Amino acid sequence: MIEFNDVTKIFPNGTVALENVNLKIDDGEFVFIVGESGAGKSTLMHLLLREEKVTSGVLRVGDYDLTNIPNYKIPYYRRQLGMVFQDFRLFDKKTVYENVAFAMRVIGEPTSVIKRRVPTILSIVGLVDKYKSFPTELSGGEQQRVALARALANNPRIIIADEPTANIDPKMKMDIMNLLVKINSKGKTVIVVTHEKNIVDYFQKRVITIRDGHVVDDRVGGMFDETV
Amino acid sequence: MRRYNVMYFISQSLKGLWRNGLMSLAAVTVLLSCLVLMGSFALLVYNVNENIETVAMLNEIVVIVDYEATDEQVQELSSQINRLDNIREVKYVSKEEGLESERSRYEEYSYLFEEIAEENPLPDVFKITYEDNSRVSNLVYQLGQLDHVNKVNNRTDIANDIENIKSGVSFIFIWFLAILFVISIFIIINTIKLGVEARSREISAMRYIGATNFFMMTPFVIEGIIIGLLAAGFGYLLQVFLYNTIYNAASNDYPMIHIAPISDVQMYVWLGFIVVGVVAGVVGSIISLRRYMKV
Ligand SMILES: Nc1ncnc2c1ncn2[C@@H]1O[C@H](COP(=O)(O)OP(=O)(O)O)[C@@H](O)[C@H]1O
Ligand SMILES: [Mg+2]
Repeated sequence: MIEFNDVTKIFPNGTVALENVNLKIDDGEFVFIVGESGAGKSTLMHLLLREEKVTSGVLRVGDYDLTNIPNYKIPYYRRQLGMVFQDFRLFDKKTVYENVAFAMRVIGEPTSVIKRRVPTILSIVGLVDKYKSFPTELSGGEQQRVALARALANNPRIIIADEPTANIDPKMKMDIMNLLVKINSKGKTVIVVTHEKNIVDYFQKRVITIRDGHVVDDRVGGMFDETV
Repeated sequence: MRRYNVMYFISQSLKGLWRNGLMSLAAVTVLLSCLVLMGSFALLVYNVNENIETVAMLNEIVVIVDYEATDEQVQELSSQINRLDNIREVKYVSKEEGLESERSRYEEYSYLFEEIAEENPLPDVFKITYEDNSRVSNLVYQLGQLDHVNKVNNRTDIANDIENIKSGVSFIFIWFLAILFVISIFIIINTIKLGVEARSREISAMRYIGATNFFMMTPFVIEGIIIGLLAAGFGYLLQVFLYNTIYNAASNDYPMIHIAPISDVQMYVWLGFIVVGVVAGVVGSIISLRRYMKV
């Protein structure tokens, strides 16, 4: 479970990016986070990743209290999250296979486990036949699927996707979204930050709207409502 | 550390060195030059000190015994001197031996000595050499305090001069080494920084996956250590070559200068190079990583 309790984030330059945010996201939920540019969506992600610390309030993710987590535990905490970015952030000099394998190598999985698990994950995202390709040889949609495979590699409890369809051509957007829904149906919490109204409207999931650092709307089965 | 990570770390380090080939080469070369400069300077200081020590040993203290002292008293004085600290050797020269050696020095005037043999004007003396140049004045003082000592002749001024030279040389030496060491670290910092910057995107992606700082830093630290070891290895070969060249030239042309053979010092050179090289590698890489490794 993810729990924001009166969370406020003020940057050193005085910008109030989030103010008194209260949110609860249960295990296994699928949540859209929407809002205009500058609303505070990315700040929310950075707090979740514990790249930034809350200024006040309490933020809990599972067993971790991110307000008080010691630095050395942060990498271990992050292994519960799978991150997907709009710019993919793949390792360009590694093949598809190596990108996924590397995520497992990082947390110290033995090679025997890696060899067994990578093909399974690649088959979930439908990229088994491209395992030898380099990211630059793939389309945007395919690269994002590699990123998704990498995010899944260590069996995280939560997948966080910041604008995952922003750099993907329209035909492939639904592809990625369907994959995220499929992953969610296997029990993982999925949080998707997006701008794209038609996607939000299509899936009929919980939608949290942020404006000027405040949660202004939070409804299940909601639509992207620009008037809120 | 997990076993299957060791190979990963080492291969990453080698790839890193290879990728920044030119910079790595420059780092090894500069560090090597620093090491050889340090080594040459250290060896120079070592040999200068050795030679100064030898010169210092030529100085002896001459203790002149009271003319009236009896044989027993001289005997007693001798054992007292031998009990003092910082004594290397004590040589007793009696009045008679003194006269005899003077006589042999001036053979052609030996007739003059016939006359004074009855009334030998020479005193009994002790000729003393000592262990430690820096504590001579103390020794001279103690000798002066003993009974039946008429006078203590010595050249404490030379001893003091030598001590001053030695401490001056050591002072410059330490500063010189410190500066070279800082330069070496600086070079490594820059090399590693280039590598880290080239891979900053990769590192940030690793961070999100949950890589520990240890995992991200280790390949770079090993890179620094490899640079240090390469510099130490080649530096050592160069140092030995240079030293032997000078050793051979000097022992032929200036036999009065005593130069320690390489076998006396090579162990220290080797150890020193390895330690300085590895420490520079580790410290340099950690400094350049610190900025990137914040959580
Ligand atoms: N590191 C930062 N320092 C100062 N201000 C920041 C920083 N990051 C974001 N902001 C500000 O915080 C607000 C929210 O930004 P962000 O969370 O990136 O919005 P969004 O992702 O919804 O577009 C903006 O006003 C932005 O300028
Ligand atoms: Mg943003």
